[in-house]
Amino acid sequence: MLNTIAYGLTIGGILYIISIGLSLTFGTMRIVNFAHGLIYTIGAYLLITTLPIFRENFIIGALFTVLAVIPISYVIERFVIRKLYGVSIDYAIIATYAVVLIGVDLIKWIWGASPIPLSDPIGIDVTIFSVTLPMYRLIIIMLSIAIFIALTIFFKKTMVGKIVVAALEDKDAVRGLGINVDKYFAYVFIIGSCLAALGGVLYAPITSVHPYMGMMVLLISFAVVLVGGLGNLKGTFVSAFVLGLVMAITGRFWGPAAETMVFIVMGIILIFKPIEV
Amino acid sequence: MIEKIRKNFLDLVIITAAFFAVLPVFGLNRTTDFIIFCIFVLGFNLLYGYMGRLSFGHMLYLGVGAYTVTLFAEHVSKNPFLAIIASICAGALIGVIIGPIIVRTTGACFALINLAFNQVGYFLALVALSRWTGGEDGMSAYFTKLGLFDFGKKPVIFGFCLFSLLLTYLILKKLISSPYGILIKSIKENEIRVKFLGYNTFKYKWVTFIISTTISAFAGALSILNYGYVTPSFIDPSRAVEVIFATLIGGAGSLYGALIGGVAYMAISNYLASYISRWEMFLGFAMLIIVFRFRKGIWGYIKDKFTRQAEGIVR
Repeated sequence: MLNTIAYGLTIGGILYIISIGLSLTFGTMRIVNFAHGLIYTIGAYLLITTLPIFRENFIIGALFTVLAVIPISYVIERFVIRKLYGVSIDYAIIATYAVVLIGVDLIKWIWGASPIPLSDPIGIDVTIFSVTLPMYRLIIIMLSIAIFIALTIFFKKTMVGKIVVAALEDKDAVRGLGINVDKYFAYVFIIGSCLAALGGVLYAPITSVHPYMGMMVLLISFAVVLVGGLGNLKGTFVSAFVLGLVMAITGRFWGPAAETMVFIVMGIILIFKPIEV
Repeated sequence: MIEKIRKNFLDLVIITAAFFAVLPVFGLNRTTDFIIFCIFVLGFNLLYGYMGRLSFGHMLYLGVGAYTVTLFAEHVSKNPFLAIIASICAGALIGVIIGPIIVRTTGACFALINLAFNQVGYFLALVALSRWTGGEDGMSAYFTKLGLFDFGKKPVIFGFCLFSLLLTYLILKKLISSPYGILIKSIKENEIRVKFLGYNTFKYKWVTFIISTTISAFAGALSILNYGYVTPSFIDPSRAVEVIFATLIGGAGSLYGALIGGVAYMAISNYLASYISRWEMFLGFAMLIIVFRFRKGIWGYIKDKFTRQAEGIVR
């Protein structure tokens, strides 16, 4: 059982890293960004391609991937997302979904449609409280907590962070102060995309890498965002770990139901706490 | 009154003539397919085009109809009409049950909650209830012959589907031009103002949702009548984009737009795939162009052009 909880915390950590970007774009721009899942997939594929170049050095490969995603996400922001400000939210969903269709097809073109497995980059097990865990998973949990702390400091202490937090509350008031809100939204979008790519990099060794891997993770991240509250940074952190545990515990008893259980939990929570967008 | 009947009759004749005109091009099987898909698009369009609620999981309601008609034929009665009525009831029932949860939300939440329910339904059909639904392999449906209605024969299915399409069209047209239709269009524009006028918008949204799920389930039942086989692909949430794209391409918020979109999408997906291997990418670019340039779709474009011409004549 302890092992299951540890596994749930690992999934929760990755879910947090992925969904924080989604939560921020959702909260600031009111745009449902399906392309987020695409960035996640691209992250995993870039890692696979660059690992042989960097002599299987996982850390350098991961760093390179996260940096390489910046221009891709900039292009998506500049040519699709920015044109969707203030437009009906349905068009935003459809347009970002169109980006996913294009991107997934490009991935299939470049890398092929068959799944690619990837092995655990560390391969050492550690024993804590008589539970044996792969070191890699422990690092993921610690990394996600580190990212949470770093983001909290970023939003509390830095100027960019403060502007974004203020814009989450009231976009027009911030704009009224003479601040170019769209520029800061672009920063937020790129930070979120980098984190999505990082999530893809971290998740790749646990599952297999295939072109449609982003879709399911994206749906679960949406569940995390909706349960945690739109643009609510702390709520996203808590709900990511809770839903990660839900997935792990359900998966222990009935494997195929793990992902469905997340949606059931989301549905129940939305019945009692409907969200107005 | 007579004028109105004549106008409706004209519409029906035009639709029938159009489908008979494309019949030699696409063949009987494909045209039947197109007609069924058009019914599905009409159901989706009521929710998205008229009430402005984008559902990203409408395959669930199609799938409910498809599975109900198959299971009914398997376990209860092989009478095709009873099976279709059962699936229509099932479609209405699912709308009644999950409607109150879904219609309270708007925008992105509406889309995603539909998607979440669709995911649950897909899981039920594929894994949890695979003992009854046949899991990934699916199951076949057999129907008995009832006098003239031998659904083993393709022309009979074609005729019945066309009749169903005309019936759906008439019902929807009646609904949309009624005060109820005007009200749901107002909900799309500004729900708060409709509430201020004293209407209980929740009730209207719920009813619209139920009508939409019912029509979708009906389309699902008809497609089983046509294929004779149900698989989880009828309830697969990743196919939800098909109906959204069809609605957009034709022009959301008009009945003719839905029909044109349904036929256009089916033609694209049937023929483009054999000419362009990267057709998903093509679809993506087409969707982007529609969202950024042609929000009104084909029918909206045609209508704009004609009204502008007509205005020119008046001037």
